[in-house]
This record gives sequence, C-alpha cells and structure tokens, in this order.
Amino acid sequence: MPIVSVEGVSKRYGPVEVLDGVDFSFRAGEITGLVGENGAGKSTLIKILAGAETPSSGSVELGGAPLPGTTGAVIDAGLSVIYQELTDVPDMSLLDNVLLGNLSSSRGVTRRADNRRRAQAGLQRVGLGHLDLRTPIRELTISQRQLAEIARCLVRDTTVLILDEPTSALPERDVETLLAVVRTLRDEGIAILYVTHHLDELFDIADRVVVLRDGNLVGDQPIAQWDEASLVRAMLAKELGQAYPWRARAVGAPVLVTTDVVARGVRGSSVHVDAGEVVGLVGLAGSGRTELMKAIAGVESGVSGTVVVDGQDVRTGSIAAARAAGVIYVPEDRKGEGLVLDASVRSNIAMGDYGPVSRRGVLRGAAMTRRAQDIATKYDVKLGSVHQDIGKLSGGNQQKVIVGRVSEMAPRVVLFDDPTRGVDVGAKSGIYDHVFTLAESGSAVVVCSSDTDEVLAVADRVYVLATGRIVGEFTRSQFDREKILHLAAGGSAASERSA
Amino acid sequence: MSTATTASPWRYQVERAFSSNIAPIVAALLIVSVALSFMSDVFLTSSNITNIVTQSAVVGIAAVGATFVIITSGIDLSVGSNIALAGFLGALWAHHSDSGLLGIAGVMGIAIVVGAFNGFSVAWLGLAPFIVTLAVMGMARGLTLQFSQGESVYELPSTLNWLGSANFAGLKVSAIVTIVLFVLGHLLLSRTTFGHRVYAVGGNADAARLAGINVKRVVFSTYVIAAVCAGIAAIVLVGRLDSATPNAATGTELQVIAAVVIGGTSLFGGKGSMIGTLVGVLLIGVINNGLTLLNVSSFWVQFVQGALIFLAVLLDSFNTGRLKRAATS
Repeated sequence: MPIVSVEGVSKRYGPVEVLDGVDFSFRAGEITGLVGENGAGKSTLIKILAGAETPSSGSVELGGAPLPGTTGAVIDAGLSVIYQELTDVPDMSLLDNVLLGNLSSSRGVTRRADNRRRAQAGLQRVGLGHLDLRTPIRELTISQRQLAEIARCLVRDTTVLILDEPTSALPERDVETLLAVVRTLRDEGIAILYVTHHLDELFDIADRVVVLRDGNLVGDQPIAQWDEASLVRAMLAKELGQAYPWRARAVGAPVLVTTDVVARGVRGSSVHVDAGEVVGLVGLAGSGRTELMKAIAGVESGVSGTVVVDGQDVRTGSIAAARAAGVIYVPEDRKGEGLVLDASVRSNIAMGDYGPVSRRGVLRGAAMTRRAQDIATKYDVKLGSVHQDIGKLSGGNQQKVIVGRVSEMAPRVVLFDDPTRGVDVGAKSGIYDHVFTLAESGSAVVVCSSDTDEVLAVADRVYVLATGRIVGEFTRSQFDREKILHLAAGGSAASERSA
Repeated sequence: MSTATTASPWRYQVERAFSSNIAPIVAALLIVSVALSFMSDVFLTSSNITNIVTQSAVVGIAAVGATFVIITSGIDLSVGSNIALAGFLGALWAHHSDSGLLGIAGVMGIAIVVGAFNGFSVAWLGLAPFIVTLAVMGMARGLTLQFSQGESVYELPSTLNWLGSANFAGLKVSAIVTIVLFVLGHLLLSRTTFGHRVYAVGGNADAARLAGINVKRVVFSTYVIAAVCAGIAAIVLVGRLDSATPNAATGTELQVIAAVVIGGTSLFGGKGSMIGTLVGVLLIGVINNGLTLLNVSSFWVQFVQGALIFLAVLLDSFNTGRLKRAATS
C-alpha cells in the first residue's frame, strides 16, 4: 500500500512543459531514489509534493487522501522536505531550531520540560542526543545542522521524508553518518524519497530508483535491476559524447598560468590554460572549483600566489585589474549575479562594457540597440526585441546573451562557472557551440559544472579538485570517468597525476 | 524563428511606461488639476502656476538628487537637516564677511562634506543607508541648533539671495534652476554611462560588480549628488526667506522621498526616472496648493502626503512582486 501516489502529474510554466504525466508511488519503510539531469523536473516534482506548486493536471495522494494545497498543511499531514540549503535560524539555540514553529505551550506560556523532552527525543533518533540543547546552532557543523533539520521533521511526526541533495554540502566523511541515519529512519517505518546526483549513494541505500528525463518518468525499478551504466543511459537517453559538439582545436601557447593560488576554499592551486584550450574543473560541491575561478578573476579578496596572463602578472583581489588583463568570470548564479532581470536585453549587454556604445561617458542609444541586435543574431538568442526585459527570456537564451556579451569583449581568459545550470538539454549544446567558437578565436576557456559528465564531454583537459586542492590532471584521451570521480570524491591521489 | 527583429522600440517603451508607476501618477496629476480648476477660479491662473513651481523648488531640487540615491536602492533621510546646516553656516559666514560668494561656497562645501560622509558610510563601511542617514539627520540638525543657539541669521548679501529671490524674463530664477537641474538630472541618468551604472547597481549590485562596475564608487557618487542638490536647495531657501533659520526644511525629507516614490522610482532599486520624479514633485505641489486654495487645514496636507506615499509603495511592491514571480517561473 503506497503512502504517496503521484498520478499523471503534469506541470507547465507558460509554453514549457516541465513535467509530463508522471506516475509513481512510494511506500513506508522504503528508500526510493529519484535521479535525473538538471532540468529533468526533479525540483518541480519536489515542489509539488511539498505543496508549494499545484500540478497543471493529475493528482497526488498522501496516505489515501488528496495532498493538501498549502505547504503548512502538507507538513501537518506528515510530509516534510529537507532542502539542499539549510533552513535553520543560525542565532537560535538547537532546542529552538528543532522545535521551530512547534513549541508546545499552555495558554501562550511555553512548557519548558515538555519541549526539552520532545527535542531530545527527536535529536536522539538522528544521533545528536549528546548535544547541549542550548548551543546556538551556528556553532554546530554543517552535517550536524542538517541532522538537526531532520530531527525537526521527526518531532512533527513526519511519516514521509523527502531529502533533496542532502549530501551536496557535506564533507565526504560526514556522508556516511547521514546515510546511516536515513537507513535507521527507513527501518523505523518512514517513507523516504532520496534525490541525488551521486549515484554511488543510491546503490548504497536505495531500495528502488526512479528516473526522470525531460519531465517524463523513464525508469522505475528495484535497485538490484539497475547498474551505473543503465542509470546514466536512462537519465541521458543517449551516449554522452553526442550531447555536446566537441571538436578538436589547435592549442597555442599558455595564456593563463597560476602558481600556488591560495584563497578561501582554495589551497595552493597551480594551473595553466593555453590559447584555444577548454579546460574543465571537476570536483564535488565545496571542492573549491568556484572559489578557484573567483580567485583567478579577482572576485575574491585575500588571494595569495600569482596569476599570470600572457606573461604579465595580474594583481589579485581586483575585478578591475583582472578585466583589464582580459580575464572574465561568468557566475554560476545567472539570475542572482549575472543579470539585471528587469532591465532590457540591450541594457544587460551594455552593462560594464561601455566602450563600444559610448563616447566620453555619453551613451549612444542607436549603437546600444545595434550591438544588442548583432549579438542576439550571432548567438541565436530567441527574443522579440532587444528592448524587452531579459528576465522574460528562457534560461538558455539568457545564458546565450551572457556568452555573447563575454565573447564580444575579445577576452583572453573566460571562466564559465556552471554555464548550463537550469538550461534545457537542447540549449546546452548550443551554448557549448559558442564556447568552442570562443576558444577557436584564441581565448583560454575554463569550465566547471555540477554535472561531471558534462565537463568530461566538453573539455580538452581537466583538473580534478578535492577539498580545495588539485588532486589530478587528465587530457581528453586519458579521461576515465571512474578514476576521475573516485579522485574527486577524495580517493587516493597517489600515482594518478599524469601530464 | 525571428531573432532580434527590428521591431521599433516605442512599443516596448509604451509597455514599460504602463507597467511602471508613471502612467497612473500622470493620470492622478491630470485628474487633480482638472478637478481643482473647476473647484477654484484661481488655480489655472498663470500667477498661481508660477507659484506652484516656485513653492516646489526646494523639494524639487532635492528630489533630483534623491532619485539617484533611491535608484541604487538607498535612501537619504538627512536631506532636510543638511539643507538647514549648510544653509545656516553658509549664511552665517556670508553675514559676517559680507561676501555672498563665500556664503555660496560655504553652503556647497558643508553640504558636500555631509553627503560624502553618508556615501562613505554606506559604500565603504557597508552600513545600512536608512540608519546612516537617520543618524546624520540627527547630527546635522543638532549641529545647526548648537551653532545657532536657536537664533536666525538676517541681513544677507544680495549675491547669496539672488538664486532664491531674483526674477529673470518674468520667471523666478529658482524655478528656472529647478527645471535646468531636472533636465541635467534626466540626461545624466538616461544618456550617460554613469546613469546606466546607477541603474545596474540598483537592479543587481552583485551582477554589476562582476560586470566590472565599481559599485562602491557609484553608490558614493549618488550620495554626493544628493548633497550637491541639497546645497543648491539650501541656497534657494535662504534666498527666498532672506534669512537662515535653524529649523529650516524640517520634514523636507518626507516630501522629497514622497515625490520620488510617487514618481515611480522603486524603493527596491533599479527602476525609476527623472520624469517620474518631476511629475511626483508637481503632484505634491498641486495638492499642497489646492488644499491651500480650498482653505483646508494644513494638518490635512501632511496626512494626504503620507497617504500618497503609502499608495505609491503599495503599487511599487505590487509591480515588483509580479516581476519577481515572472522571473522565477
């Protein structure tokens, strides 16, 4: 008897169909794994289960009754979601966090003894029984805070627990602790939906795995019937190589050379990237790939070591100095850090690059429009007009505008941080097509992604990062997915370094 | 597939005008004006219209500067106190030295120092604009009262009074200066790279920084621009009254912020226009004038201004919320 059944659920945002008739269910006392590429519809499905979104068609049942329509009512009905980012209140105590919104009281006065007992019971179940309830939660480790968040759900008598990428922020050694807690909860009879990119975790704990691709449910089998290859095939539908238009390129002299770069999250990294080369940075979240890019591009201050571009030393810690040397960082958070969403496409293209569209500080409107139209045409941006708000374009088209803006500056080094995040599969190859063109024009390109397979598909060479260090380097002909992922996960680096 | 069609921009500009707050406020200005012209015979006379513009000069000039600050999602509560402090000290020096030019230099110097203090605290010390300028508002007013010991300064040189009291070609110089500043402010905001940076910083400071814009310098500049405008407003006020009083321009910051926000500039930053601010200033001026013509108690004037701010913020929040939802879907 399934406790949650999803029946024919579809979800459309405007013309985009994010979920298309998804059917599946999961049971108490079972861990169901949910996997899919970025953009496959996982987060939308989670939002629907959490009551934050209503499906365009289809229905969801929880314990035999229709799923309530608001997030609060869904929690009361016994379904809780643990999100990727912590949702605790850092300055409040462990006790207050575990009982957030759930303190028991008598006529408005909190019942201290009762509250302490309930919090203690919840924490016991996640193995945090030994902690002092008065500790401010900011003093705990990330994994302890994550477990405390699970405890918060348990205190609310949760029967269904959804975990969305729960290990993405955790150091390797704490992953096993979390998995052990998840197993215990399953054995206590809780239904668990476990969403992750880390396939090895699924083979470790899942009883069943469900695969989403482009909004469709494309696989639903007990774990014993899956292996890694069949899971990847189900997720991607085609062999990896075909999804990205990689082509051989002539590689020239070194453009970017860093020596012993140390910054927050980066420990002594020396890398080089040559003209025309696309170099990938592979690493789990928290491995320092974003931090290394930011250190090179002057976005982070407090950087030691040297960054040399075309033989010239670049002053670190200054975006202006880095850009003067032709180094541009393209942030992973396109909406938060890349664009002004409610400004026009034209305005976003001009932002910070006024040279071609102004004379002595005075903007030339016609030049701005012409330049924006040229870029839109050259980079296949689908839009109504360059005067429309960029926030109204699709993620893929927004990213093409950014790639175009950057490429037209004739940069020496471009650091793309997860350039296809939240972009649909079709647009991905279009974006990389332009990235390759940029490299062919002689720029040095660095790419990283939350999706390791994507980096391996597009890079000429990769550096593998773990805990802020470079632990391996492979050229395209030596790419070995297993070995690289093993290194990235903190496996032994001995004798893996090859030229 | 139509990529980058050459569709004329006017359609989008019209669309934008309607989705921003300007259209309803222009409508409000027209409706109020038409209503007042029926209710009062005096309203539409040229002398009354001149009167409205002249009465609006101090608020209008300060609002030009405040528009820059608010577009960066900042706020300047110190503008009224700055007008009082700069105006008083400049007038005092002019009175003692009998040099109008020294007075003007003094007013502008003091105003800019106060503005630079605001800008430095917000941009480089990273303090919240609301708190910084609230503190400066108190400090500047306190200094004014201390230096003046509550006494006003009279008998000022005519050079200092010229801006606030002289006529030129049948118009008040102060009205002409106000209009010129609005034109300059409009051009700076809409036609220069600096103006574009101001919008970018207000729209998304992180994106602006990563695009190579020196966000701190832009933010600092807007507070200095606001202070320069406050200085000019102080000279106009002193000249009009032929004196400087320590309680001058009390509560002006409320009218200034009201005018800017009513004019469609978003308190969330990134959106707004000088034309909107001009309409906002005129609307407040017309309402003040109308309430006076209709013999309504001046206490109601404050109430109406407060209610207008509330409506403007409500509209702003509604529009911004709609955009945010559209962006995340």
